[in-house]
Amino acid sequence: MVHIRGAASAPSQPVYDSAARRRPVIDEVRTLWTHRSLIRLLVVRDLTVRYKRSVLGVWWTLLNPILTASVMWVVFSKIFDRVARGESVPFIVYLLSGVLLIPTFFGQGVIAAGSSLMGSGAILSKIRVPGEVFAFTAAIAAAVNFCFGLVPLFGIMALTRTPIPWTVLALPVAIVAMLMLVTGVGMLIASAAVHFYDVIDFTRVILQLVVWMVPTFYPIEIIPDQYQIFVKLNPLYSYLQLFRGLLYRGAFPPLWNLAVVAVSSVVLLVVGVWVFSKSWRRVVVKL
Amino acid sequence: MNDRQPSIVVDGVSLAYEIPVNATSSAKEYLINLVKRRIIYEKFWALHDVDLELHRGEVLGIIGPNGAGKSTLMKVLAGVLPPTTGRVIVRGTVSPMIEVSGGMNGELTGRENIVLVGALLGRSPRLMRERVPAIAEWAGLSDFLDVPVRTYSTGMRARLGFAIATDRKPDVLLIDEVLSVGDESFRGKSLQRIRDLMDGGTTVVMVSHALAMVERLCRTVMWLDRGRVKAVGPAEEIIAAYREAV
Ligand SMILES: Nc1ncnc2c1ncn2[C@@H]1O[C@H](COP(=O)(O)OP(=O)(O)OP(=O)(O)O)[C@@H](O)[C@H]1O
Ligand SMILES: [Mg+2]
Repeated sequence: MVHIRGAASAPSQPVYDSAARRRPVIDEVRTLWTHRSLIRLLVVRDLTVRYKRSVLGVWWTLLNPILTASVMWVVFSKIFDRVARGESVPFIVYLLSGVLLIPTFFGQGVIAAGSSLMGSGAILSKIRVPGEVFAFTAAIAAAVNFCFGLVPLFGIMALTRTPIPWTVLALPVAIVAMLMLVTGVGMLIASAAVHFYDVIDFTRVILQLVVWMVPTFYPIEIIPDQYQIFVKLNPLYSYLQLFRGLLYRGAFPPLWNLAVVAVSSVVLLVVGVWVFSKSWRRVVVKL
Repeated sequence: MNDRQPSIVVDGVSLAYEIPVNATSSAKEYLINLVKRRIIYEKFWALHDVDLELHRGEVLGIIGPNGAGKSTLMKVLAGVLPPTTGRVIVRGTVSPMIEVSGGMNGELTGRENIVLVGALLGRSPRLMRERVPAIAEWAGLSDFLDVPVRTYSTGMRARLGFAIATDRKPDVLLIDEVLSVGDESFRGKSLQRIRDLMDGGTTVVMVSHALAMVERLCRTVMWLDRGRVKAVGPAEEIIAAYREAV
């Protein structure tokens, strides 16, 4: 009987044992679940603290991608106008969807998750909180940012009378896959940054290259056929195809795109969490 | 509760900080050093072979000169610094108060920080929101709940940190230099609260340069010097010897 067992043994109390063995990946996933209310709080903090001193506050979250897309629209709309005909959506929709997914969600998310350990040093060196909480918080914040950005995107689609297909209901799949990718890549970078901080700046540069090597603001057709393979080899291309397919083409992309998304998100997440679990603790002895 | 199991065990713990050999720490040099199998980090041993055992309700004071390794030992006990060699076991919930503004965010208000720090300590945000008035009241900060903590004075931050950490009875309380920045009334209040916690079975480890206060609160004192335990024993004896030495 329950109460007899409860009376016989000590009430379960947490025990910290520095020599306890951890099961990589499994334990990390469990910590994320047990710390879910903390993560929720930290995500809100992440999204609001940045704007504490600004007048527009969190509205910047919505304004940022719109402003970026508008600037690009001014620059590129004349050059790439034919994409609109090829895609059957206004260029601004093509542009904003690309900007939201690639530089905003992926780019900013990876940098935020990659610098999360260093950025949380003040907490990590005083309170025992698992490092993965901070990396995951950064990735989630990027996802929430992206979802906020969908609001003006749908607004523009409505204004331009772009039909919204039923496949948008499957968008959460694309968002979860991207969240897994951002978490995995971000954790890899955070782990490397424990050993040498330059990784963050290095990543910024590499990201520019990787991010602009996918057709966010240009149609893939402008690239000569024999070179298109280099764009398609970039896994981000498949994520973009999936997102745009669900958002306005009303269809899933070809199977190989789906396979790339499924495999890359799972593999990078597992590898990222595993590497992270081996290295994050050492950040405190180096702070 | 099994009283015979010590609540804190520190067994032969040494700790090395790692400091980059040259401040540049660039990727290129890192790779070169990696290839040449050179050590990139210099080890600084902040603790050497420290042993300690504390039972429920015991109070230990740690004293020693600046840079002796007191805060380092507290961080090892709090579980944020993994020992380089040796082993640490801490049983029960831990409230760490390491350096005055541990875990607080200056941009957030006092109210928001109460919830945040509470959540970082593993308490539910909903519970913390309910506790906000009581915590602020105890800390004497009810009028400052909605201003950013970066505008608080050091003593106000210490009050808030102490009030949050001791709002729920922890099994282990770690206090590093927090009480010394408070004024007389805060010190009196917090000493009373520490005594209440001790009577309730909380194990306390406190670091302080305020020797008189250590003497009043602790029966046992550990004297650390350059990372080594110089002496452990009855408070009056150790403190007298320490006063003699400095
Ligand atoms: N993050 C760090 N990296 C490298 N060395 C460190 C780090 N933190 C502390 N040290 C070194 O470890 C030693 C012990 O530092 P610690 O902060 O534990 O001293 P302390 O006893 O708390 O001193 P105080 O009385 O001034 O608070 C010091 O010599 C310090 O230089
Ligand atoms: Mg100290």
